[in-house]
Amino acid sequence: MIEVNHISKDFVSPKKYPGLSGAIKGLFSNEKIVKTAVDDISFTIGKGEIVGYIGSNGAGKSTTIKIMTGILNPTKGTCRVAGIDPSRKRRENAQNIGVVFGQRTQLWWDLPLSESFTILKEIYNVSDETYKEQMEFLNRVLELQEFFDRPVRTLSLGQRMRADLGAALLHNPKVLYLDEPTIGLDLVVKDNIREAIKEINEKYQTTVILTTHDIGDIEELCSRIIIIDEGKKIYDGSLVDLKDTYGTKRKVTMEIRQPHKIKELHLAESLGISDAECITEYDKENNTLCVTFDKHKIQVPQILSAVMEVLEIKDVQIQETELAQIVKEIYNHGTVEE
Amino acid sequence: MVKSLKIYLPFASNELKRMMAYKGAFYLFILISLFKSFISYYLWMAVYGSSDKGVLGGLSQSEMVVYVFMVYVTSAVMVPLSDWVSDDVIKGTVAMNLIKPIDYRLSLIFRAMGNMIYSFLTPGILIWVGVEIYKVTVLGLAPVTVGRIILYLISCMMSFLIYVLFDFCFGMIAFFTTYIFGLLMVQGALLSFLTGQLIPISFFPGAVQNIFEFLPFSSIIYTPVMIYLGKYSGRMLGFALLRQAVWVVILYVLGSLIWKKVTKRLVVLGG
Repeated sequence: MIEVNHISKDFVSPKKYPGLSGAIKGLFSNEKIVKTAVDDISFTIGKGEIVGYIGSNGAGKSTTIKIMTGILNPTKGTCRVAGIDPSRKRRENAQNIGVVFGQRTQLWWDLPLSESFTILKEIYNVSDETYKEQMEFLNRVLELQEFFDRPVRTLSLGQRMRADLGAALLHNPKVLYLDEPTIGLDLVVKDNIREAIKEINEKYQTTVILTTHDIGDIEELCSRIIIIDEGKKIYDGSLVDLKDTYGTKRKVTMEIRQPHKIKELHLAESLGISDAECITEYDKENNTLCVTFDKHKIQVPQILSAVMEVLEIKDVQIQETELAQIVKEIYNHGTVEE
Repeated sequence: MVKSLKIYLPFASNELKRMMAYKGAFYLFILISLFKSFISYYLWMAVYGSSDKGVLGGLSQSEMVVYVFMVYVTSAVMVPLSDWVSDDVIKGTVAMNLIKPIDYRLSLIFRAMGNMIYSFLTPGILIWVGVEIYKVTVLGLAPVTVGRIILYLISCMMSFLIYVLFDFCFGMIAFFTTYIFGLLMVQGALLSFLTGQLIPISFFPGAVQNIFEFLPFSSIIYTPVMIYLGKYSGRMLGFALLRQAVWVVILYVLGSLIWKKVTKRLVVLGG
C-alpha cells in the first residue's frame, strides 16, 4: 500500500547570529544552514497494517508523514501511496488518504460541526447513500451526535479529536495517517479513540500509520513499529520481536520471612551463573529481595527454588521490562542492539 | 464544471456564515470604512468649493459625490485574501488545506466570493440605493440606466477576479517571508492610490495617468466606477472591459506559475 524508497528531506534556513549585532549581521549575511530532517528512510507497508511510527521529538516523524501526504516534497527518493506519487499528484493522492494532525484541526473552526461534514462530503465526492451509511458508523464508534450541531470552537479537546477522526474517515480512505491522535486526551477518550481505530481497521482493512508518544497507543494498536531517530530508521519490525531482543531483562521481587538468613544466600553460585547475569538487591525496609536476570539464561522457577532452599518466601512479583523502558533506552542510545 | 461548483460553493457559503457569526466586528468595520468615505466626501466638497472651475479632472461636483460613494460600494471586491494566506502559513493550517483533494487557490477565490457577496449586500447595496436617491432628489440628476448597471456589474465581476488573483500572488510572499503584515500595509496604501480609491486617476498628469491605466490596479476600482458614471462609451468601453479580461488571464497564469514554485519549496510550520 505504501512504498517509501530512500527518501531524504533537507530544510534550508538562513543562519542566525546571537544578539543585536548578530541580528544586523544576519541582514547582510547569506549563509545558510542545511538541516536534514529525514535521512534515507525506506519501508513498505501492506494493506490493513497498523504501524506505529515512533521517535523522540524532532526525529522526523511528522516530516515523513507530510511527505507521504503530499504536503512536502522529498529532497531525494521516491514515495508511493496506493500506487500514486503524492508529491506529483497531490490531489489524487488526497482522495485516498485521511489525515489527523492531533495538534491541528481540519474542521471549520467557526461553523457547526455538521457544516464541516457537509463540505467534506462534497469535497471528497461522497454519494448520499455512502454518506448516510458512513455517518451511522462514525456516530456509533465516535458518538458524534451529541455535539454534531455545535460550533467546532466550542468543542472540548476530546470531542474535537473524535470529530477530526470522523472527518478524516468520512470518505473511507485507504490509508489513514494519525499524527499524535491521543495527545492531551483523558484515559476514557483515549480508550474510545483506540477502539474506534481498531474497529475501522477491522471493518475496512484501512492501513493506519500512527505517530505517538503514548506507549499505550502502540501496545494497544500496533503489530509493527518503526522507530526513527535523528532522521534515520533504527528499528523496523514487530512489537513482539522488539520486546524479545531488547526486553530480555526480567525482575523478580520476593518478600521474605527470615531477613537474618539473607547472608547465607549465594544465588548466582547456586544457579551456576555469573554475578552480572543475576543481580540481587536486598531492601531492608520492606524486607524484599529483588533479582534482575536475563530471561533467556534462566527461568523464574529456578530462581524461586534456589531461594526457597535457604529462605521462606511470603510473596512474589514478576516484572517484564516495559515497552516504555525499551523505547527510552533506544532513544538514549540511538541504536537497537541486536 | 457543475461538479467543481458543488465542491467549491460551500467555501463561499461558509464564509458568508462565518461573517454572520462575527457580526459585531463586521458592523464596526463598516462604520469605520464609511467614516473614511465621508472624510473623502467633505474633502472633495472643500476642493470643489474653493475652485473656480465646475469640472475637475473630468468630473463635476455631483459626479464626484457619486464617485466617492460608488468607490465604497465597489471596494467590496477587495477581500483580505492575502491575509488569509499569511494566516494559513503562520498557523500552519495550509497543511490542512493541502491534505484535501482541492485546489487551494480556487477554494480561496470561492471563499473570497462569499466575503464579497456579504459586503456587497450589507451595506454596499444600501449605500448604492442611498446614492441613487440622493442623486435624483438632491442633485437633480437622471437615475442610472439598467444597461449601465449591468455593464457595471460585469466590470465588477472582472475587477473581483483581478483583485483576488493579484492578491493570491501577493499572498504567496508569505510562503517565503512567513510574516507579511508590514507588506500588507504597504500594499493597502499603494492600492488606494493605484486603484483610484483615494483620487480619481483622471486627476493625475497625462503620463502618470497612462501608466496607472496600464497597470491592473486601475481596473479594480476606477474602471467599474467610471463605467457606472457613464464616462466610457463605445470603443473606449469595449477597450476598458477587454483590458480587464486580459489582466484576469495574465494574473491567472502568473498565479499558477508561482503556486507551482511555492509547493516545490513549501515549509509547513509547527508540529
